[in-house]
Amino acid sequence: MEFYAVANQKRPVRLSRETREFAWESLMGKYGDEAMETPSVSLDHIAGFDNLSPLKQYDIAISEIAEKAPIRICKNEKISGAATLGDAILHRVPASRNGKTLWPSVSHLTLGFDKVLRIGINGIEKEIEEHLKNNNVPDCQREFYESLKNTISSLRLWHARYLDALKEMNSPNYTVLKNVPFEPPGSFHEAVQSLWFAFAFTRLTGNWSGIGRIDQMLGGYLKSDLDSKLITIDEAREILAHFFIKGCEWIRSAPPRESGDAQHYQNIILSGIDENGNDVTNDVTWLVLDIIEELGISDFPVSVRVNRNTPDKLLNRISEVIKFGGGIIAIYNEELVIQSMIDFGYSLEEARRFANDGCWEVQVPGKTYFTYIPFDGLKVLLNTLGIDSTTFGGTGGLRNEYKSMDELYQAFRENLKATVESIYSITVKSRLQFNDRQWKWKTNIPCTVVSLFTEGCIQNGRSYLEGGPVYNVISPHIGGVADIANSLYAIQKLVFDDKLISLNELTGILERNWENNEVLRQIALNKYEYYGNDNDEVDEYAARILDDFADMVEELNGRCPISFPPGVSTFGRQIEWAKYRSAVPFGRKKGEILSGNSSPSPGTDYRGATAIIKSYCKANLARLTCGSALDIVLHPSSVAGENGTVAITSLVKGFISLGGFFMQMDIANTDVFRKAQENPEQYRTLSVRVSGWNARFVTLDRDWQQMIIERAEQGI
Amino acid sequence: MAMLVPVTEIQRFSTHDGDGIRTVVFLKGCPLRCEWCHNPETQNAYNELFYTDKNCILCGQCASVCPNHCHSIISDNHVFDRSNCKRCISCVSGCPANALSAVSKMMSVDDIVNEVMKDSAFYLDKGGVTLSGGEPLMYPLECIEILSVLKSKGVHTAIETCGFFDSQYAGRIADVTDLFLFDFKDSDRDRHRKYTGVYNDKIIENLYLLDNCGKDIVLRCIMINQVNMDENHTREIARVYHTLKHCIRVDLIPYHPYGNSKYTRLGLQPKHNKELIPDRRALSQIKDFLASQGVPVYLHN
Repeated sequence: MEFYAVANQKRPVRLSRETREFAWESLMGKYGDEAMETPSVSLDHIAGFDNLSPLKQYDIAISEIAEKAPIRICKNEKISGAATLGDAILHRVPASRNGKTLWPSVSHLTLGFDKVLRIGINGIEKEIEEHLKNNNVPDCQREFYESLKNTISSLRLWHARYLDALKEMNSPNYTVLKNVPFEPPGSFHEAVQSLWFAFAFTRLTGNWSGIGRIDQMLGGYLKSDLDSKLITIDEAREILAHFFIKGCEWIRSAPPRESGDAQHYQNIILSGIDENGNDVTNDVTWLVLDIIEELGISDFPVSVRVNRNTPDKLLNRISEVIKFGGGIIAIYNEELVIQSMIDFGYSLEEARRFANDGCWEVQVPGKTYFTYIPFDGLKVLLNTLGIDSTTFGGTGGLRNEYKSMDELYQAFRENLKATVESIYSITVKSRLQFNDRQWKWKTNIPCTVVSLFTEGCIQNGRSYLEGGPVYNVISPHIGGVADIANSLYAIQKLVFDDKLISLNELTGILERNWENNEVLRQIALNKYEYYGNDNDEVDEYAARILDDFADMVEELNGRCPISFPPGVSTFGRQIEWAKYRSAVPFGRKKGEILSGNSSPSPGTDYRGATAIIKSYCKANLARLTCGSALDIVLHPSSVAGENGTVAITSLVKGFISLGGFFMQMDIANTDVFRKAQENPEQYRTLSVRVSGWNARFVTLDRDWQQMIIERAEQGI
Repeated sequence: MAMLVPVTEIQRFSTHDGDGIRTVVFLKGCPLRCEWCHNPETQNAYNELFYTDKNCILCGQCASVCPNHCHSIISDNHVFDRSNCKRCISCVSGCPANALSAVSKMMSVDDIVNEVMKDSAFYLDKGGVTLSGGEPLMYPLECIEILSVLKSKGVHTAIETCGFFDSQYAGRIADVTDLFLFDFKDSDRDRHRKYTGVYNDKIIENLYLLDNCGKDIVLRCIMINQVNMDENHTREIARVYHTLKHCIRVDLIPYHPYGNSKYTRLGLQPKHNKELIPDRRALSQIKDFLASQGVPVYLHN
């Protein structure tokens, strides 16, 4: 039972043997395998099902799930409730007709679990009742309200089944679960149980929600219990550890290899200020760090909101945990994110509440519908060069017309604008219609479970996917920014400054994949310093692209009920995109996997982590309200020992002071990855940061593993 | 006139040459010729050529620009005859693939300061700039100039030195240096001469001179199997530590045969042999002994 850590470090042991064994079992895939044995409940026996409205069908499905899903109570578990249906792991509502599931489920959101703790499900039910009483609810909305109430009934049914089972087993958890999540919790233990049970129900029904600000939600309960000596800090750690362990219940022993397993978008946020500006850091913050340090659990990717006043004690603690590897903790620059949200139009209080969507895109938790539309920005440039005109949105460029960098850039900018506009109009059309001078939301698939936990849906009488939430956000995400900047810079140098070749010739060479032009390719590769090396000349291209992109997106925002904040990401799409890109001007050949998120193109940066951070921070990142992630991989030797902790803390502080947005740091050693490729069974708990999520390395397919290894090879 | 010094590398995000995040400036030229040297390219003060075979794409550009006909491409092999090489470096600009590169470039104090200040956001109170080499104090006036500019900007400064430098500068150097990473390679006078080319008298004299200036000193002790890992030297390390007033720590640095590829790239015979690698247990014993003598000791990997 050795939880993986880089560089022969031993993870500390604070938890009981039983808890550690439970964690091990869960990480080895015992419960995920079990869930796959019962993928879904069957709706085949429901008479007249096909004649029901989709919402009615959905209500029945949720009710059947609540009634029929296997109950699982693990030996020694300190909190109960389990999402035991396998189709949920596959992002579907786990209810089927004729062997087929009916609806995909919802992810990329963080539900309002804080409200569940504050007023209980009963409080939410009361809100529904009162709304129905006080308002003239049109008939068309009644069905939705009915559905909300049905969902609560289903939750109640599932809860009762657990209580019965616990009672029968004489489990002490019976009393813990008895009143929550229907009533507000009376203790820390109940609070953890309440949060888990509500979360587990949303997962049971297929959804993948983030958790949000767990220390803010639970800290008060712990303080009060500690003050009145009802609990010790060790007992509290043990209870909270079970929340993390149960969150691993979807891990399978042998999942199909693709983009990794630990990615059910269940992000947790720690620390930072509350809506009044007070620091929320409390004992729960430290306990979470203890737990992930000991168990190396990466299934709840943890991000910390760091600001200029974050004490060194917390930063050093974060650094200590990061040093074990696994990419478990990421960093938000709180001040910049809040300012960015205010500039975008959120109120100060709302901005201060920010969390993420379970991945890393910034949003107000519990109040936001969110999705993002990714596109390959490099493809837009290749288009502009006339290399390929099949790109989404772009108009395609004519060969040989650009007499200067400025002309080329302007043409690229126009194409980028066309791409953004086309994303906007497709997005808006898919969700909204404009009738009688009014925006109306189009009907979408049923999703009452997440609507129940999203502020606005009750008030507006509309579902999460139909404009119910307080904020409805769709963000265009540009990808390949480093590759565009590097390409432009290489063209500037090769064609316009050093005059080694004409643009027309270069385009032809790229179409022929640099064939018979090895000397020129080597010059492009070796003679210029690209994004990630703190070279102003190229970094300015990246900054300019992002600024222009933000301008175009901003111009479209505010025209309809969907907000349209810009973001930067690839989330590993660079693997897929590689197939559709030609060779690029900075010397890379067709098919090579290029940059991820806001990180440098692999192999082009050689000045180390500080230079990468500086290149990234030259852009005005506050304009990218949805987020812009930088991934950094450090070699274990560079952060060894006490000074390694100081080094990580210094990187974080520099990142904050230079105006970074979001940084994911991993400590990794390519040797270990290669060994894990050879002997996967010995590296089952080795986790890596992929993007907004972590994955057990051995569950990634070869392309993804290769991408991780290439990224780690840049580790300094 | 601007002062120029030969710089082989300015390495950012270094976490091994002093505290915090540091930028290390490697100057070219060293008065010692240690048998175990892992930076052979920093020994000679004059510029040299690195040739990295695996980068060569056999394009022949070097052959066409070299005035001394040192390069030729013979049946898919790049033959580099260094005997006629006048180190004019013309071939470097001709090489597209970085197979040929100059070991150093001359930089002014201003250039160096500008470069190292790029990471000032990461230095904070602990990190900063370290001058290393080679032996940086082969250029005492330039070092003083660089470090005094950095001090005026509030940057923490360190010098990594073999201790063999002109004693008259000790006071002025110490004025602008916060931390000395001072090599204490061997306490045996004759052995020191045998393996490094010089006696250690001047080095020890300079160590105490710097100590009298009141700045922190870390004694950096390289540990080489079959050379200096005996009881006498170990006891001497403890004794020296206790006679110094401002030594804050002893670092034990195990020998690694890292430099071989650099010897090859310089056209020299690789020197390193695995027998010199110290045994982990012997290292621990030395570490424990020093600790038992009240010496704060850190064993590097």
